[in-house]
Amino acid sequence: MSKKLKALAAVGAAAVAMSVVMTTQAQGATTLVVSTDLPLQGGSKDQSDTTNEAVALLIKQAGGKAGKYNVTLKKYDDSTAAKGSWDDAQCAKNAQAHVANRNEVAVMGTYNSGCAKIIVPVLNQDPKGPMLMVSNANTNPGLTKPWNAGEPEKYYPTGKRNYFRVVTTDDNQGAAAANFAKSEGVKKVYVLNDRQTYGQGVAQAFTTEAKKIGLTVLSDGTAGEGWDDKQPNYEALFTKIKALSPDMIYIGGIFDLNGGQLVKDKVKILGDNKTVKLMAPDGFTGYPDFLALKEADGAYLSFTGLAIDFFPKSGAAAKFLADYKKEYKHEPTGAFSVYGAAAMQVILDAISRSNGTRADVFKKAATTKISATKSVVGKAISFDKNGDTTNRDITIEIVKGGAEVGLKVITVK
Amino acid sequence: MATRAARKAKKAAKQPVSHRTWALGYLAVAAVMFAVYQYALPWEGLPLPIYDFLQLWLPPSSVNEALVYVICALGLNIVVGYAGLLDLGYVAFWAIGGYSAGWFMSNFFEQWKFHGLSSVATTEPGLHINFWLVLVIGGAVCAFFGVVIGAPTLRLKSDYLALVTLGFGEIIPQIFFNGENINGFNLSNGTKGITRLDPIPTGVKDLGPFDFGSKFVVFVLLAAIMVFISLQLRRGRLGRAWLAIREDELAASMMGVPLMRTKLASYAVGAVAGGIGGVAFATHVDGVYAERFNFSISIFLLAMVVLGGMGNVWGVILGAFILAWVNSTGLPALGDTFNSQFGTEVDFPSFTFLLFGLVLILMILFKREGLIPESRLRLVLHEGDADEELKPAHEEEK
Repeated sequence: MSKKLKALAAVGAAAVAMSVVMTTQAQGATTLVVSTDLPLQGGSKDQSDTTNEAVALLIKQAGGKAGKYNVTLKKYDDSTAAKGSWDDAQCAKNAQAHVANRNEVAVMGTYNSGCAKIIVPVLNQDPKGPMLMVSNANTNPGLTKPWNAGEPEKYYPTGKRNYFRVVTTDDNQGAAAANFAKSEGVKKVYVLNDRQTYGQGVAQAFTTEAKKIGLTVLSDGTAGEGWDDKQPNYEALFTKIKALSPDMIYIGGIFDLNGGQLVKDKVKILGDNKTVKLMAPDGFTGYPDFLALKEADGAYLSFTGLAIDFFPKSGAAAKFLADYKKEYKHEPTGAFSVYGAAAMQVILDAISRSNGTRADVFKKAATTKISATKSVVGKAISFDKNGDTTNRDITIEIVKGGAEVGLKVITVK
Repeated sequence: MATRAARKAKKAAKQPVSHRTWALGYLAVAAVMFAVYQYALPWEGLPLPIYDFLQLWLPPSSVNEALVYVICALGLNIVVGYAGLLDLGYVAFWAIGGYSAGWFMSNFFEQWKFHGLSSVATTEPGLHINFWLVLVIGGAVCAFFGVVIGAPTLRLKSDYLALVTLGFGEIIPQIFFNGENINGFNLSNGTKGITRLDPIPTGVKDLGPFDFGSKFVVFVLLAAIMVFISLQLRRGRLGRAWLAIREDELAASMMGVPLMRTKLASYAVGAVAGGIGGVAFATHVDGVYAERFNFSISIFLLAMVVLGGMGNVWGVILGAFILAWVNSTGLPALGDTFNSQFGTEVDFPSFTFLLFGLVLILMILFKREGLIPESRLRLVLHEGDADEELKPAHEEEK
């Protein structure tokens, strides 16, 4: 490189550095930062992308303002290329970054409950906080309610509750599913789970409630029998189950974990979903591959919160969906994305009522009251003392002709 | 081009950089970074652009995370770089170390209560053992498993050994994955993992989530111990035996190197590093999740060793640091900066796999022997270059 070129390169580099400095200064002190923290790589990518879109649209519609404060959105990614999914180390890093970002006041996320369990305690101990976090998708009960040893207190070292969520928890989903099964005339049920946090949680809640309301649970254990997602087929499993002659099979788990084969073999051995009913939680919703199976026809599904089908057909929720389609020319991948916007509504509302500091924003979130006419999910949003949403709605759907058709909404007390 | 490279190599060979120089450099870099994170970053008077720049491109938690990778990569370097045993299941040791921390530093086993020099309140249920002791326990447990796994495995050679280590690397995380109910005993809490570990006690204060500077010192110290062990072993009898096995197993055994014992030693020492790294990582994240320990992490560690310079401690450190940084911070920060600078909305996370692959390919194309190659390895990989040197100079110029 000649001397001239070198000098030119140096000037160029300086110019870029200057512009970086200028832009950061221009953003100034009065603008507050709100963020999303979602896995943007791997299997959850599509869901996270549409969630980010919904959140961005909501902020845009609010004119980039929350009360007298300007807000800008910052997107964090809690997945890494090396891991190809959410990464615990990245969650730890993001937690620190949220606290270190001086203008940031609240976080919308995370998608995975495991990630929330890393981030919440750090935000909770923020010296200028605690910092507010509102999740659109964490359904693990332990984050807010007594569940495993030390939960939920261990996530809140300062004793203050800075975590809220706009979807209800797995225990409610399992219970609603059991009640629905009883109302459909089911007497004997066999429970399966995918051996993961989520699947076991739902299956356990289902089993507990089913026993309580007088159904016969044929499977052993508190959460039924685990299925191994690496098995080539499940004929042996269902042949064993057939001898017990159940009326219904409850699959607590995620479709990704070989759920397709499981459903195929269920129909092959036990007959179609009218003869022996099949029910699965929201880990089976939103998968086109599942709906395309002819064996899925007639299966019941449940969803924590309102499925998009059950959003009011007029008012704020319908308008937001229409605006979303207009803005991005496609539909959100599922209701979780719209719940992301609802979580951001909670955050903006809290900021508008606050004095603009972290410590105040999180306090205001506890007294959130967003009316049904304003809420993008069509239902009033408020929180109980644990930080859980007071909307304990579970949607029951049936698979019909390759689509999820809403049957009814069960509200858990 | 080739002659220039060869000449450079010769020059480097003539002036070997002593280990003391390296150690001083390591210390100096660590001291500067400590000063930045301990004093400059929390200082309110630090200009915002500099603060933002540091937080974006070199946040303290990513440095600490990279150090954990350095510790593990140094361990793997002993197995792969020194002894030449291809290990595709190294993540198993990381997992065992991580779970040692989970078991002995949390209230996970609420049915038992034991406090071993821990700073946690004595009313807390569960096993609470001092972090520094858990490091020793984690290392010892891993060394044990290293020998247990190694004894039947190391009779195999090259590809076959790699396949068996791959198997073990899959089995051990699976045990943790499914270990929620082993005849009614909850070993690992399954995919829910073990969350909230005890803080690191230093005698003065317990290190909370925002004490990066102090945690940085702890991790630097652990990495330094691994460097010291690596260098000392490399120089000694065992190290030369490992190199002999790496170059030619048959010849080494003919010369009286006890193959099994020497290989087992490399496996055990490597495993200890994995255990220490695992404990450190668990305290860094403040939890252990079975999902973390998948095959891709073994490969990631192997890539650090190969790209850094197999067998060269300093190269491995650099490789681990760069790859860990690119993965956790470099790629996302690049995307953020690009988008904010040019006002675009490019979806960078979609390209991280591509960019990451590209970085690996470029490095293998242009720095095959690693960033800081080991002198022996360089000679082996540049055997072809020596022939080219015989060609007339004017042909080179074309």
